[in-house]
Amino acid sequence: MFERVEVFYRPASVREAVRLLAGGKGRARIVAGGTDLVVDGDPTARALIDITHSGLAYIRKQGGGCAIGAATTMAELEESRTILALGGGILARAAATCGSIQIRGVATVGGNLANGSPAADLVTPLLVLDAVVVVADAKGRRKLPIAEYLAARGTKGLRQSLLVEVTAPRPLGRRCGWSFQKLGRTALDISVVNVAAGLQVDGAGRIQWARVALGAVAPTAIRAGATEENLQGRTLDAEAIAQAAEGVMREVSPISDVRASAAYRREMCRVLTRRALEECAAQAGCAL
Amino acid sequence: MKTMELRVTVNGQPRKWSIGPGDLLLDVLRREGFFGVKRGCEKGECGSCTVLVDGRAVNSCLMFAAKVQGCEVLTIEGLADGDRLDPIQGAFLDHGAAQCGFCTPGMILAAKWLLDKNPHPSEDEVREAMAGVLCRCTGYIKPVEAVLAAAKQPAKRATRKREPAGVAR
Ligand SMILES: Cc1cc2nc3c(=O)[nH]c(=O)nc-3n(C[C@H](O)[C@H](O)[C@H](O)COP(=O)(O)OP(=O)(O)OC[C@H]3O[C@@H](n4cnc5c(N)ncnc54)[C@H](O)[C@@H]3O)c2cc1C
Ligand code: FES
Ligand code: FES
Repeated sequence: MFERVEVFYRPASVREAVRLLAGGKGRARIVAGGTDLVVDGDPTARALIDITHSGLAYIRKQGGGCAIGAATTMAELEESRTILALGGGILARAAATCGSIQIRGVATVGGNLANGSPAADLVTPLLVLDAVVVVADAKGRRKLPIAEYLAARGTKGLRQSLLVEVTAPRPLGRRCGWSFQKLGRTALDISVVNVAAGLQVDGAGRIQWARVALGAVAPTAIRAGATEENLQGRTLDAEAIAQAAEGVMREVSPISDVRASAAYRREMCRVLTRRALEECAAQAGCAL
Repeated sequence: MKTMELRVTVNGQPRKWSIGPGDLLLDVLRREGFFGVKRGCEKGECGSCTVLVDGRAVNSCLMFAAKVQGCEVLTIEGLADGDRLDPIQGAFLDHGAAQCGFCTPGMILAAKWLLDKNPHPSEDEVREAMAGVLCRCTGYIKPVEAVLAAAKQPAKRATRKREPAGVAR
């Protein structure tokens, strides 16, 4: 599968990794944990660039939020106090569902995003946390909101770039609620559908803002913008939740594949969104 | 084919092997005679190829061999101390936790990873740690019992918690 690879690099810095990638004539591949790359195989790869020694495994507090290096593993995320404290710990919870201990010990956040699977489990929590992605190429570094990164990932501008870091701003205020819900075929499997949600209510129990993201039900994970708007300003009660759960079904465009049919996925969007918003309500102190 | 030199310590012995830059650790270990590392699905699903790299359980079928440059690899062959079995191996024997034995190296190494980190796990923690190793004949009850029994043994185990560099806790 990788018989034609001619060289394996272990760059000690981001600068060196970017230089190797730019010099790879489109045939150099970044490898972090390798848990997607090796399974998928790539007969066109001629050089492999291992970025796990490039200083990219870190979790730092940053202005109340945090910065996560691209080579940080699922195991590191699920155990980190900083990540457990961020947005109700939804990112840590999502990381803890990603395959076995053998997978989670090496699989990285950067690989999860860069691989571009619509079912990647870290993406919906990061969408709900309003994360920003930092990428680097020969021209320098730039920041992109995560939704923009997902949309542009396969384009020429980003194909030759290194994902350096993901940052999540400080989730503001009191009476917030957060949730991550995943439906998989088995305990280890990637999602059939996953949903992340976050919201804040005011003293009267009215929703100040709500964010709902759904994975594995569209070409990339999405934010359910119309549903979020409909929730804003409403009292967080059982009726609002039921309507939002119905609403997301109109915003998704699932396909049928080996894991599930489109109809089942759409139905599960409703169920998981309801569960997610119920959990948010409980955390925000709203009786349903 | 291009080759490169791999320096790695396997079961305590330093090795110097010539490998292809795209070779996978599973293939290299088996080529060098470590047949306790089993080839199952080659997709990260079954765990029969599990080895410990610097104490961390990994699927060797998904790891480029070049990644273990300078690392310590432990395979099932390196677990016993001469004739003295590791307590987990002993417990697997006592509990009849292996039938064909194909999954056993992966089961035992996943369990070793857990007990090194957490010497007194709950049954749930054992099941979680072993979830990445599939067994097609014995099932899971006896292996889980064996690991819980091994954890009860008085044998001193080094408690090691690897803190990744630069991670805020
Ligand atoms: C058995 C099994 C179970 C799994 N279960 C789950 C699951 O439950 N949920 C889930 O979401 N995923 C799951 N996965 C998929 C996979 O483990 C994750 O997507 C993982 O996060 C990928 O990270 P990696 O470091 O291994 O990526 P790699 O395989 O190293 O890389 C993946 C891709 O991203 C590119 N890349 C990696 N890092 C960067 C970077 N910093 N900048 C630019 N490009 C980069 C690589 O070139 C490659 O194309 C599973 C995989 C297996 C084999
Ligand atoms: S052979 Fe490696 S996990 Fe199955
Ligand atoms: S003992 Fe045969 S596969 Fe587990």
